[in-house]
Amino acid sequence: MAVILQMKSITKEYKGVPVLKNVDFDLEEKEIHALLGENGAGKSTLTKILAGAVTPTKGEIVLDGKPIKINHPTDGIAHGIAMVFQETSLVPSLTVAQNLFLGKEKFYNRLRTIYIAAQQFLQSLNFSVSPSVTVARLGAAQKQMVEIARAVYYNARIIIFDEPTAPLTPEEKHHFFALLKRLRKADVTTIFITHVLEEALQSADRITVLRDGEIVVTDAASNFTRDRIVQAMVGRPLGGELYDASSKGRKRRKAGRMVLSVQNLSMQNIVRNNSFSVFAGQITGIFGLVGSGRTETAKIIAGVVKRDLVHGGEVKLEGRSIRYRVPSPAVKDGIIYVTEDRKIEGFFETMSIAQNIYIGAITAGLTKSFIVNMSEMRKLAERWTETLNIKATDNNARVIELSGGNQQKVVIAKALAQRPKLIIFDEPTRGVDVGAIAEIHQIINKLADDGLPVVVISSYLPEILHLSDRILVSRQGRIVEEFNAAEATETKIMYAAVH
Amino acid sequence: MIKMINKYLGRGEFSITVPPMDGALMPNELLEETEKLLIVDAPDCLAIMNGVPVVSSRSRVLEVDTGGKEVARFDAEISCMTGLPNGGLAVGLSDGRITLVNGPDSGKIIKPIEGAKCPTAMHADSDNNLFVTHGSSTNNYNDWKKDLMEKNSSGSLWRVEMATGKQTKICGGLAFPYGIYYDGETFIVAESWRSQLLRIFLDASKPSEEVLGHLPGYVSRMAPAQKDGIWLTAFAPRSQLVEFVLREKRYRRLMMENIHPDFWLAPTLRSNKTHFESLQAGGVKVLGILKPWSPARSYGLVIRLDSNFQPVTSLHSRADGSRHGITSCIEHNGRLLMAVKGDGMVASYPVDRIEKR
Repeated sequence: MAVILQMKSITKEYKGVPVLKNVDFDLEEKEIHALLGENGAGKSTLTKILAGAVTPTKGEIVLDGKPIKINHPTDGIAHGIAMVFQETSLVPSLTVAQNLFLGKEKFYNRLRTIYIAAQQFLQSLNFSVSPSVTVARLGAAQKQMVEIARAVYYNARIIIFDEPTAPLTPEEKHHFFALLKRLRKADVTTIFITHVLEEALQSADRITVLRDGEIVVTDAASNFTRDRIVQAMVGRPLGGELYDASSKGRKRRKAGRMVLSVQNLSMQNIVRNNSFSVFAGQITGIFGLVGSGRTETAKIIAGVVKRDLVHGGEVKLEGRSIRYRVPSPAVKDGIIYVTEDRKIEGFFETMSIAQNIYIGAITAGLTKSFIVNMSEMRKLAERWTETLNIKATDNNARVIELSGGNQQKVVIAKALAQRPKLIIFDEPTRGVDVGAIAEIHQIINKLADDGLPVVVISSYLPEILHLSDRILVSRQGRIVEEFNAAEATETKIMYAAVH
Repeated sequence: MIKMINKYLGRGEFSITVPPMDGALMPNELLEETEKLLIVDAPDCLAIMNGVPVVSSRSRVLEVDTGGKEVARFDAEISCMTGLPNGGLAVGLSDGRITLVNGPDSGKIIKPIEGAKCPTAMHADSDNNLFVTHGSSTNNYNDWKKDLMEKNSSGSLWRVEMATGKQTKICGGLAFPYGIYYDGETFIVAESWRSQLLRIFLDASKPSEEVLGHLPGYVSRMAPAQKDGIWLTAFAPRSQLVEFVLREKRYRRLMMENIHPDFWLAPTLRSNKTHFESLQAGGVKVLGILKPWSPARSYGLVIRLDSNFQPVTSLHSRADGSRHGITSCIEHNGRLLMAVKGDGMVASYPVDRIEKR
């Protein structure tokens, strides 16, 4: 196939530190190109340069044989290059339809007309999002759908997706990849960044692997295997660390005492009569599609959201009935919820690693003094960065500057600094590279080995199967099925989740 | 004041909840794999008589392994049985009488006394004593649904000296005791309406204590396991709707006055028999398929407890299953025999396959 775009000797430096080093990247016509690499490998920077969100320090972009300058996203769109960013760029106070047509409004806009147009357009993409809902009320997956729809709406020739599938459920992912194939038929070339190797292997025509700002390999997807990708990404084979078959043979932990009992929990029609228990010394995995009420159940337990005022059910922590209006007393009782949306709810991005971890300890009332104690903060940060192997220049580095995996480790450190009695991980490895995934899994396993009751909510089936000692399947607001880890299969779990 | 608010909002002690079936009580479909050993009308209680497993069916005692050969027949329905150390069988009848069969005292009848007219389970010791639980002092065995709806706790545990017929009350105020097990020192009694196992001391000065509570079903009879521990049956599941009805006094009164017991909002041994039954939370059938997790009035459940009376594993027949209403089970020759009263059969399952779980 003909090469339509070339990026030649692209280099990007921040304060003299190279993020991309003489990268040569090309894109063929009508191909689906997957970009893989650990967090911090330079994937996002490379694609942002292409979309005009970042200007390269040096290098050249050639489109259809002609050199072009892209200094701003509008330049990118003018050249038919659109990007769906990892961080949502939607306006929360506007409706879905308004966001969709933002920047392409006519002189006179009739709401009814744009809602109908948006409805038809979203339906053509198989996205079940209401056009009249304000974006602030949408979940992460639905926001992502609107972002994708907007890129498609721009009639771009090249669309770049930065981790598009991270917030999507398996069913939505299926729709997404079907959409990519439909786009290819419409002569659109797509680049997508992903951490899920199977997605790249199954859906991409070519795969490029980046490591430390350099391209390690570009080849046809059919020439890759999982192991080859992993080795190219991390420079070493990860062996049995990640989701491999040998983990199925590992000894599953037996249930300890019952720590948490959720009985007939209800919250509007999102959580409906949900009942389950959590046992000490065990990882309880909860799988479900978006809208199945998993996250909301976890948030009710942790006091982040409230259950129904009347007949909302009961939550018992070690036999004691609990009901929180805010998270603070839950944290003091030892219930720690590690959020799925770390950037919004997990940390203060402009604060340092040390400050973020110390805030965790303050919330739990575990600090020694009334005022901020710098030496205590330093010691706490040192302890947790060492324990969790957080990679940063020092503990004063701002969390926003860290890679996704290290950001997630800071969130986990903050949670562990609160001395949990029960810890709930919601999508613990979303947007985290394979190397960090293995480390996070080790941390989760160690917590359960140490006797802590651990709940892992994940929409990634291999992760649930790999980590969990028992697997609960959530559907339409309630747990409908439980599996022993030994007898669970992807098919059984998915069947329970959708039927 | 807080109590009043909680009562109004259905919170705290007033929240209408049912313990979840998970962990060791994780639903499975093991009961669906059991062998149908004997198809019989309303099999209720299993016992070992002289090494032979027998089952009660209405007013008859039948051998399990010989295709239902009749061992004895009575003029009233049988409500419980137990094998005697001398090879005989003690049979409790629904009118309160206890009769002895097939032993040196065969034909002997112990007449009921006031407050002890609803035998539900028995245990015989080597000193010629019978320990009998009576479910209710006001209702007979077949009126258990009425006893639940009246929220009675008039059950009791009695010692019966078989030689003299003398009956002594050991403990009262029990909420339909439906199973009994002797652990060598104390009695463990299954209290159905409180969904718990209670330890009762022979020394009346010691108060009884809960050994296992908050079970998701109405517990029934128990049987010792060959290895450590016991088997416990639960004849019906608890449901939020029934729990709600149990709080509504006037509704229950009107329901009992005007509706046939088969159609009450109450647990049952087999639901979905007719379309006259009330819907249970509705919306559980999709394209004609009953969801296994849907709230049901009937269920099949056998629980394996360890020597500390904590659940280890369990066998289930879920909402869409065909082994509902198990009232009794017994271990014999490496098999677990179960009286599936709701679906009219005696079922069998290899014990080693359960223990492997």
